[in-house]
Amino acid sequence: MHFGGLYEDEIVGKAYDRRLMGRFFRYLRPYRWMVAGTLSLLPFIAASKLAQPYLLKVAIDNHLVNGQMAGLPLLALYFFLLLLADSLLTYVEVYFLQLMGQRIMQDLRMELFAHVQRLPAPFFDRTPTGSLVTRLTSDVEVLGEMFTAGIITVVGDILVLVGIVGIMLWMNLKLSLVTFSVLPVLVWVAFTFRRRMREAFREVRSRLANLNSFLAESIGGIAVVQLFNREATERREFTRLNAAYRDANLPVITWDASLYALVEALSSVAVGLIVWYGGGEIVQGALSFGALVAFIQYIEKFFSPIRDLSAKYSIMQGAMASLERIFHLLDTETAESPPSPQPSPTKGEGAFLSTPPSPSPIETIEFKDVWFAYQGDDYVLKGFNLRLQRGEKLALVGETGGGKTTVTRLLSRLYELNRGSITFNGVDIRDIHLQELRRRIGVVLQEPYLFTGSIEYNISLGDEAARQRVEEAAAVVGANRFIKNLPNGLNEEVRERGGNFSAGERQLISFARAVAFDPEVLVLDEATASVDTTSERLIQEGLRGLMAGRTSLVVAHRLSTIQDADRIVVIHKGEKVEEGSHQELLAKKGLYYRLYQLQFKD
Amino acid sequence: MFCQFTEGYSISELSILYRYMLSCRRTYLLGALWLIGTNGFALLIPWLLKLAVESLQYPARALHSSAWYAALIIMAALAQGGVRIFSRTTLLHAGRRIEYQIREDLYAKLLTLDLPWFDRERTGDILSRFSNDLTNVRMLLGFGMLNIINTVIVYLATLYLMARINPSLTLYAVIPFPIMILLVKRISSSMFRRSKRAQEELARLSSHVEENVSAATVIKAYCREESQIESFREISARYFDCNMGMARLRGLMIPIMASTGGAGTLIVLFMGGSRVISGAMTLGDFVAFNGYLAMLIWPTIIMGWILNLMQRGAASMSRLNHVLKANATLTEPSQPAMIQKIAGDIELRNLSFSYNSEPLLKGISLRVKRGMRLGIVGPVGSGKSTLMRVIARLYPIGEGMIFIDGVDINRMPLRTLRDAIGFVPQDSFLFSRTIADNIAYGKEGAEAGKIEAAARLASLERDVQRFPNGYETLVGERGVTLSGGQKQRTAIARALLKDPTILILDDPLSAVDTKTEEEILAGFSDYYGDRTVLIVSHRLSTLRGCDLIIVLGNGRIVEQGAHEELLALNGQYAAIHREQQLRAEIEGY
Repeated sequence: MHFGGLYEDEIVGKAYDRRLMGRFFRYLRPYRWMVAGTLSLLPFIAASKLAQPYLLKVAIDNHLVNGQMAGLPLLALYFFLLLLADSLLTYVEVYFLQLMGQRIMQDLRMELFAHVQRLPAPFFDRTPTGSLVTRLTSDVEVLGEMFTAGIITVVGDILVLVGIVGIMLWMNLKLSLVTFSVLPVLVWVAFTFRRRMREAFREVRSRLANLNSFLAESIGGIAVVQLFNREATERREFTRLNAAYRDANLPVITWDASLYALVEALSSVAVGLIVWYGGGEIVQGALSFGALVAFIQYIEKFFSPIRDLSAKYSIMQGAMASLERIFHLLDTETAESPPSPQPSPTKGEGAFLSTPPSPSPIETIEFKDVWFAYQGDDYVLKGFNLRLQRGEKLALVGETGGGKTTVTRLLSRLYELNRGSITFNGVDIRDIHLQELRRRIGVVLQEPYLFTGSIEYNISLGDEAARQRVEEAAAVVGANRFIKNLPNGLNEEVRERGGNFSAGERQLISFARAVAFDPEVLVLDEATASVDTTSERLIQEGLRGLMAGRTSLVVAHRLSTIQDADRIVVIHKGEKVEEGSHQELLAKKGLYYRLYQLQFKD
Repeated sequence: MFCQFTEGYSISELSILYRYMLSCRRTYLLGALWLIGTNGFALLIPWLLKLAVESLQYPARALHSSAWYAALIIMAALAQGGVRIFSRTTLLHAGRRIEYQIREDLYAKLLTLDLPWFDRERTGDILSRFSNDLTNVRMLLGFGMLNIINTVIVYLATLYLMARINPSLTLYAVIPFPIMILLVKRISSSMFRRSKRAQEELARLSSHVEENVSAATVIKAYCREESQIESFREISARYFDCNMGMARLRGLMIPIMASTGGAGTLIVLFMGGSRVISGAMTLGDFVAFNGYLAMLIWPTIIMGWILNLMQRGAASMSRLNHVLKANATLTEPSQPAMIQKIAGDIELRNLSFSYNSEPLLKGISLRVKRGMRLGIVGPVGSGKSTLMRVIARLYPIGEGMIFIDGVDINRMPLRTLRDAIGFVPQDSFLFSRTIADNIAYGKEGAEAGKIEAAARLASLERDVQRFPNGYETLVGERGVTLSGGQKQRTAIARALLKDPTILILDDPLSAVDTKTEEEILAGFSDYYGDRTVLIVSHRLSTLRGCDLIIVLGNGRIVEQGAHEELLALNGQYAAIHREQQLRAEIEGY
């Protein structure tokens, strides 16, 4: 519900932007019949509202003044019926408006969500999670408000206003013109105030922003404030900002109160004008008492929607700002399609899936002169080469920041390489359908991410085929042992981020997930965080189960992994510097030898 | 009728508000007077209308012409408008003033709360108390009070005037009103319940989005996009249902309000009409009666809404009380020791500290004499930073564990203690102010020369010279974004300028390379003088000049001694030393 004078911290901008609204109207298309229906109800609602004062006029002129009781009950009945019709139709109208609003919000939300799913991984690196959540929640909510309180009721209001003007003109032309002489004043007032309010709001907004950021900083830096004994000065500054914000609000209140009071006063002045001019007309017999009273009622009805115009205005401003942000997100490139010369997924599918339903197994994976930078020229991989054969277990080792994790990300095409190529059986991965590629490569991330839901859901992620293998997968990695001891077994609830499970258990669940999806190639980024010895043993066993019989590429952080590997590749500063078996590399006494002592030896 | 709340917030939550309202009692009184004036003029209008109609109907008996009454109506209208501006501004300003005062008190309270409290609360949550909850309370104090006072005045005056015209008709005409208030109240309380449910669904929806965005890589790696969209669709549909449940109720409100006014008019039309016909009432009475009835509609409608506002206000006030009534465990000593100047002798006696339940420091005993340099090393989570923080009394610590100059720090005035300590925290928090303000943070109004000297000592000078406005450059989004190393050096300059007796450096240069760190710290030797210095570092090379080095492990001192002694022990320190040498070799490979 909105009343004149309630301004919150809304965005100041245009209340109507044709470009944005034009695009928004497209979302109305699926509901065009509902729109048509609600719009067609509006004239009836307006009519039932407008007929009420007219009935009063008839009652006064035909019954009250003449002292004629007969027929008055019938008039009262008509009045009652009009009231009933008005209420019922308004209810239907409001209901369908909100239904429409909610449907459109849901459509928009789904479109946004689906769009976000298609955004490439780098997008998530540079976009704060909070802002995406805001797009899908608050911004969409604001649009809903536009429906319940704004746009279409304005159409209804305008219809009522036009109807009132029409009836008044028809009842008495001259009296109407006299009454409407207050309108230019009203229009002038409305425009002046709008300008003033806009300026005042800008001030309020910037001061509120100052206040909030100061506050956020105080909370974030509370230790520094206290360590440096700055409480008194911080408080003084806060008081200054707080007072500045309060004082910026005062003119807004004054302007708004003035607008409200003026609109009220003008409506009463109009009543005075009706009495003044209408009185003369009555004396001359050109106007009836009933018409005079009806005029007064009409003018009151005329002013009532104008009273909360300013509230509607601010709702529309907020809605425009939200639309702008929502469309901006929808316009973000979903660069999941490759930037390769022939970016057609059909070509990719054709090249790789030439023999569906069972495509040929991956025999070789090859990195050729791969260059990659997350930002600008800051290359993380510099001409990296690697060859992996079917069934081989390969371990990547190196210092943090050397590019190990990047290799795994490029392989599953979470990021696009800048130069060089990665091929499967000689086919560039950019020519392979993305979904197909990722289905064949199982990725276990360094930080196991658990979703809220059951353990079973966390292993299968809702995939039908994977669900069939949940128990088997849990057994393969040895997760079944701790799951068995849970009160609800596989149905045990996982709290936010897996907070109710130990680091080791979270790892095992994420291993089981990879097994359940049964990928041809396993890409694993081992967690660096140290765990207690029991967990360590569990994880080692889990890893063996996970890698058994699978082509694996592992970023290794534990001794058992490098010992089990068929081959070890040492990455340093974005390049491959050493390669060979554990023993061979140790014997070389080179970089691996040192890394081994630093990272793996107990 | 105000005191019944269906939800768990009692009106007693609002009691603290009375204190604030009392401080503004003159303003409220003045506002009430203005409101009486406003309504006085507003209520004149239907009466003048009655007189005008009567003068038109029976010109012979009339005192004045209808034109005269019309002029009076216009004058009353203008006067009413003028006074209304004052009544609204006075009361709405009062709301803003009290909001200001509560915000002041909240902030003052925050500054006295200790780190354990801030660790428990989420920043976003505190901020939302300052904005959303405060807004709800303000609405109640300004807009709500305006309407409560207004309703009382309008009701009393209007009912009196209506009764003067015709008492029995008044009774009939207002029959629909209590029914409506009850209906609106019932609807708004079930709206409140449903809106809480909708809020919960919205929270579920947003945490799904949050989870989805945070897990973007997992979802992509397992091609789960479609199933994520499906489950989002389910949540979204549930939220939709909740909202439509609300919409059904909200849809009821408008017709109920409109029809109450209409029902009153209907009653007046029929019953009043028959009274006019029978001659018990004049036409003028009839018109005025209708006018007064119309004046009651808006305040009645708003009453239902005010009830809702009080509920929300009470809920929000309870969230504000959570801050206003919070108690810090770390407080000023009740009987502070008299200390002129701290010399800098630190003694730890069997120091143990636990946070939540896990003990972080276990039985640490140590003496650091004035002018000594103590180095602290140890793996992540061994308690190095915790030790530094309890010495600065950022966390509450038991009696008889930490002594400075032989005085238990719990007995020292916080100000004296912290004035003596220069602390460079691990995460160098800087404020969005100028570089100069940040450096002079501990010494307000320090001269430019001193600021520059501190910057020079912290090797920050050359960086500052490259900034657009030198020392006057703003830090953060609106100015320059500092690199990790620049931030750390600014935080060091800030601590150095404070001229402390005890300097605590908690891994102060982790963001620069070893060589630069050594260079910077080498420049400090003159500055150290007879200050007591505690340095935490993960690089042993940094600690070479220390008189004593302790190795922490799991909250205990596992080794201590000078560099050479510790190497000779061939224990943990020596292991860390070897590791760092290896690392240096790998780095240079």
